[in-house]
Amino acid sequence: MSAPPHSHAWLVGSAVAFAAGALFFPLAGPAPLDYGAVLARREPEWSILLQLRVSRTLLGLFAGGALALAGSLFQAMLREALATPYTLGVSTGASLGAVIVIAVGGHTFLGVPAIWAGALAGAAAVLFLVVGSAARHGRMSAFGLLLTGIATNSVCSAAILLIHGFAGMAQSFSIARWLLGSVDAIGYGALVPFGVLVALITAWVLRQARHWNLLAVGEDWAAARGARVSRLMLGGYVAGSMLAASTVALTGPIGFVGLIVPHLARSHVGADHRVLIPCSFLMGGVLLAGCDALGRCILAPAEVPAGAIMALVGGPYLVWLVRQRG
Amino acid sequence: MTALLSVAKVSWRAGTTPILQDVSFGANPGELIALMGRNGAGKSTLMNIIAGLQSASGGAVLLEGRAVDHWSPAEKARKVCHLPQAVRADLPFSAWQLVLMGRYPHADRWFESETDRAAVETAMRRTGCDTFRDRRVSTLSGGERQRVLLAACLAQEPRLLLLDEPSTFLDVDQQLHCFSLLREEAQRGATCIAVTHDLNLALTFCTRLIVLAEHTVALDCTSAEALASPEWLSLFSSRLHLNDDGAGRRWVSFA
Repeated sequence: MSAPPHSHAWLVGSAVAFAAGALFFPLAGPAPLDYGAVLARREPEWSILLQLRVSRTLLGLFAGGALALAGSLFQAMLREALATPYTLGVSTGASLGAVIVIAVGGHTFLGVPAIWAGALAGAAAVLFLVVGSAARHGRMSAFGLLLTGIATNSVCSAAILLIHGFAGMAQSFSIARWLLGSVDAIGYGALVPFGVLVALITAWVLRQARHWNLLAVGEDWAAARGARVSRLMLGGYVAGSMLAASTVALTGPIGFVGLIVPHLARSHVGADHRVLIPCSFLMGGVLLAGCDALGRCILAPAEVPAGAIMALVGGPYLVWLVRQRG
Repeated sequence: MTALLSVAKVSWRAGTTPILQDVSFGANPGELIALMGRNGAGKSTLMNIIAGLQSASGGAVLLEGRAVDHWSPAEKARKVCHLPQAVRADLPFSAWQLVLMGRYPHADRWFESETDRAAVETAMRRTGCDTFRDRRVSTLSGGERQRVLLAACLAQEPRLLLLDEPSTFLDVDQQLHCFSLLREEAQRGATCIAVTHDLNLALTFCTRLIVLAEHTVALDCTSAEALASPEWLSLFSSRLHLNDDGAGRRWVSFA
């Protein structure tokens, strides 16, 4: 492998950071934990740690990883540094679905929280719409996907604004809170299927790593080197959308991680997706779970949503990164 | 024996405008063919159709006797390489990584073997881009980038090389070197089809000339035949002449 010399160090480093995050982020929180009580598995400390903090940290790690991975994937497929689940309309579609559910006031749907069902339905609708209109004669073009995605994004954003405006006071507040995006404690009943889904999709994406390298050069370049381009584009788009939608369903829209992390990873480990994909996933997870841990502590006992921290820290950082590269 | 490549009555329309009509020719191992024609004659389109990147509106392209769209992409990529006219300039890959992509069709494993690395090394040395192997493609000059792309094609070790203007951006010495490499490939049994606008390069290095005009093959002959009866030069411009220095060296000049 002749990736930049430090790429393997970065891969190992981000894996270590991911593991360390899983171990230590649960310890951060508004109320200091009595470690003696935790080690002796005494209540309520044990339950606080296991049911609230650990589940929340795992959600942050997997959600951040999924979003960063979706960002890397879309950027490779579309050869566009600005492509994220947001620019492609998927995340906004999921948000619209969730917002409709909040405005209507649904609680559960077929046993799952209605907000999740709404988010998944919204993302699926956008998926069919965008793929349907971007695919012509069985061939999907990157440009078509991007333009259709951006158009869909604006339509969904406008619809969210309208619903927000006409919703009642209580719903309007819930919508505003949900739209900020946050990592909250969730039950393991939801966390485990989410984790399994993310792991399966990540494994598929990783298996195709060399094909993403080829697509990042060009569609014809990939086709002339043995890739089935249409199938790959469709598979990649569905995989990225599923990652984004399932994450948005659990956390609300958290935008930046899909843009910052792939850029950061690419500038340090290079563009070989065999290294870039695992790095993006691990770094994305650490970043989101870290932002969440930070948000629990800085204004304790109040909590700052992870999405807000991410935007406040990530925005200036991204500008700085772009300036550095000139 | 079936020809390595046979193009049979291939047609292609852009909307309703005919670009190619009934283009037919065959190509065999050992040939280095210059595909020429004026701007918009359909040279790149024809190359794309042969490579299977674009479907013809009519006709067939057979590779070793089998229709090109019946080959699986991976199987085809082990036989045929395609050098595009250009790739994006701002690629985030290093030169080495880009050349390595030529090995993807050959490598089953997730990472490349020693054989693959050796093929990449050789290809980069032959095209003279081993000196900037670790530089990002986005920092290379146009000519350097072109040599990296050529190296990627050579590393693919194909039977049929389709090269769309391989000598663009190259300085004169590198243009000569590029066509020498293609001739070497042909001599060791590959078939090369190179699009070029340089008549002298074509006449010097290629074994055969195919000129597209009026949507179809206007000239298909060996270089020797082309030198013997130069009337075909009018297909390009009325201002071209074939010169002879008396010692057997001939070249095209313009007035």
